[in-house]
Amino acid sequence: MATASEPPSPLLEMRSITKRFPGVIALGGVSLHLSRGEVLALTGENGAGKSTLIKILGGAVRPDAGEILVDGVPLRFASVRDARKAGIALIHQELMLAPNLDVAGNIFLGNEDRRLGLMSLLRRKTMREAAAALLKRVGLARSPDEPVSSLTVGEMQMVEIAKALALEARIIIMDEPTSSLTAGESAKLFEIIEKLRADGIAVVYISHRMEEVLALADRITVLRDGRPAGDLTRAEATHERIVSLMVGREMSADYFPARPTSGVSSEVVLSVQNLVVPGAPGPVTFNAHRGEILGFAGLVGSGRTELMEAIFGATPAVGGSMQLEGRPFLPKSPRDAIRRGVCLAPEDRKRHGLVLPMSVAQNTSLPSVHGYAHYGVLDRAQERRVAEAEVARFAVKTPSIDRPVVNLSGGNQQKVVLGKWLAISPKILILDEPTRGIDVGAKAEIYRHMARLAEQGLTILMVSSEMEEVLGMSDRVVVMCRRRIEGVLPRAGLTAERVAQLMTAPIEHAEAV
Amino acid sequence: MRRELGMFIALVCLCFGLWMTNHDFLGASNAINLTRQISMLGVFAIGISFVIITGGIDLSIGSVIGLTGVLIAKLSGQYYPENPAAGGLGYSLWVGIPVALGVSALIGLAQGLLITRLRLQPFIVTLGGMLLLRGVSQTIVRGGTLSLGDIPLTGLANGGLFGSPDTPLLPYPFLILVAVALVAGYLLHFTVFGRYVYAIGGNRDASEYSGIPVQRVETMTYVISSLSGGIAGICYAAYIGQMSQQVGIAYELYAIAAAVLGGVSLRGGEGTVVGSIIGACIMRVIDNGINMFQWAYRDETGAPRIFRLDNNWTFIIIGGVILIAVILDQLAHLFQTRRRTQGTAKETG
Repeated sequence: MATASEPPSPLLEMRSITKRFPGVIALGGVSLHLSRGEVLALTGENGAGKSTLIKILGGAVRPDAGEILVDGVPLRFASVRDARKAGIALIHQELMLAPNLDVAGNIFLGNEDRRLGLMSLLRRKTMREAAAALLKRVGLARSPDEPVSSLTVGEMQMVEIAKALALEARIIIMDEPTSSLTAGESAKLFEIIEKLRADGIAVVYISHRMEEVLALADRITVLRDGRPAGDLTRAEATHERIVSLMVGREMSADYFPARPTSGVSSEVVLSVQNLVVPGAPGPVTFNAHRGEILGFAGLVGSGRTELMEAIFGATPAVGGSMQLEGRPFLPKSPRDAIRRGVCLAPEDRKRHGLVLPMSVAQNTSLPSVHGYAHYGVLDRAQERRVAEAEVARFAVKTPSIDRPVVNLSGGNQQKVVLGKWLAISPKILILDEPTRGIDVGAKAEIYRHMARLAEQGLTILMVSSEMEEVLGMSDRVVVMCRRRIEGVLPRAGLTAERVAQLMTAPIEHAEAV
Repeated sequence: MRRELGMFIALVCLCFGLWMTNHDFLGASNAINLTRQISMLGVFAIGISFVIITGGIDLSIGSVIGLTGVLIAKLSGQYYPENPAAGGLGYSLWVGIPVALGVSALIGLAQGLLITRLRLQPFIVTLGGMLLLRGVSQTIVRGGTLSLGDIPLTGLANGGLFGSPDTPLLPYPFLILVAVALVAGYLLHFTVFGRYVYAIGGNRDASEYSGIPVQRVETMTYVISSLSGGIAGICYAAYIGQMSQQVGIAYELYAIAAAVLGGVSLRGGEGTVVGSIIGACIMRVIDNGINMFQWAYRDETGAPRIFRLDNNWTFIIIGGVILIAVILDQLAHLFQTRRRTQGTAKETG
């Protein structure tokens, strides 16, 4: 309780918030404070703990330690409802609107007048009128009756803000709000944030985009590896200072296997020319050499996964061309790509990589099993030999190859994915976030395997959001930002700062407003 | 296989219990008739299992049974010159059977292509198929019945090998079930196709990303399902000796129930041929048991009386059994998942 001698308590205070997940400490003692009408930017690399922190604030995740005070009163949020009652509204990066309902219905979703419980009459007229007033406040010239599916993403963002205002939120958290907005829509969003600030509403603004952070925020808090890395006022902050706080860490030298410095073969295995990925603003061009680990750095949403899915044929490219070993290559499906020896170990292993209830042997043989079948009849003996060989190659820790992969750890699951592709002797192996969700020991092991495979002549395209991994493993690094290639950096002279500068590049060649 | 074993034990207990209350349950005529019923249900329960294992559903199978039965009756049923509408056209079975089976396979192909190429929901496509095909059958029989008359086909369902002609030890429908089960078991458990069926049911996306021809495999499962309905339809026509538009109504639900009882999961990726057969046995034994069950007791005056189950309870009992089976299955599943997460927490934590 505040006494008269103390300064008035801030609107929000988070003290030494700690959150552990199996194998990782997502947040280790992060504190944060926020006053009325303040815009706080929260920034940091992927995996720095931003999302976990705001999920805790929004009531979606419970912290292991630490406390949250609103108006100086400690609160415990058991659910998102509790946080909303305390006046905290979270706007997710993936907008949480029901596209089948109209604007008014969405604004009041979960917040309807429920005096009689769930059997209350839906007061459409009152809701429509209140919605119209809120839409005016956020400056959206749309009728409350329009279905949300007819709105643009920018307009949906406005509806989300109106929804927060309908809750009488005093703190609005925006998670990467501009990630899918055009420049014009972003400018409009910034106007609204200024308006909210004038109304005394506090905004926590999460973004990687330096120019936005520098333009909007009163204060900037940088997180790194789940710990506070620095707190800057608007006057102190520069692009360089923020980037150095984001990446400033020691590199562990022997964590990554030694890579030959003599440079890789000059033989181009995959040549990508003016490839147009669905949804991308422009074409991309790059080459990959034999035996090379080509890293792809960029922020989440920079279009790396989409590019890889185009090369793998999962979402075929809509224009441009590719050559694989000098022959035209334009897969229409993963099946086409796999036939030509292009394989993908996907980011979401459990969804796209493995059939979880099936055994190690069955998963390993999945892409190759038809190859050694006799007139369509399974050759189980051969299947087991192949699986045993891959299990041995990658030292998969499993009591038996008949064990369902669901029972393996993340690192061993990833090894099964690698084994399943190596069994068909690929030419190009695409690894999307090869060590996501894998503990430190298994990571080093995966790195060693990658290095060895590259030495044996396999071309690896590695998408990674971990700066260390990009720097430690890549022979060259392709840096992407907003679905374009910002630059290709050679291994010599590669620094975290150079990569980070490129991947947070300001909009200079942006679309016309 | 644990689920199959559990259901097999339940089946044996059920049969033993029924036999205790009424020895006629295993008497020659009831046992053989029951075998025929089990066999015919088993054939299409196996077929529908292929679809369910990939994570799909086939509601049209009952109507396919009705339609192929009507087709065989119309094509190969005896021709009555004085009343052509009451019988068939009298073509050879060498014409009738291939046409009826061919039509059923084509129905499966059409539904499979709609589901995989146009990405329509299996539920709605096969629901449409169920109504449409039922209507086609109605149109062919014109609301009446078609008699097969005196053709060799009727011997198929009612005859068999060994034993006396009336009570053969191996009724032909049972031999058909064995043949279908062998082919299906071979397909599902020994071929690449079967492996892909499980993979698609276990994780469609990962299967796609592994280069499996997902659409072709899925389409084939609908062909197999419909074809099994076609085989069963011919058996039913032979068994009944005449076809009306009523035959096969709600059989898709019996097939789904049998498959699920036998351990085929509607979540996809789980199930065996043996399980579906056991499920079909349980369904038919319960059905039959409701008629056969009797309990001799003496009322308060000491007069001997016999308690029998009311026939109207059939659906209540079958529905209850299905619900109990899936509840037990889900509890086992939840228990396993909990044990697994606790296991990983220990490994990593």
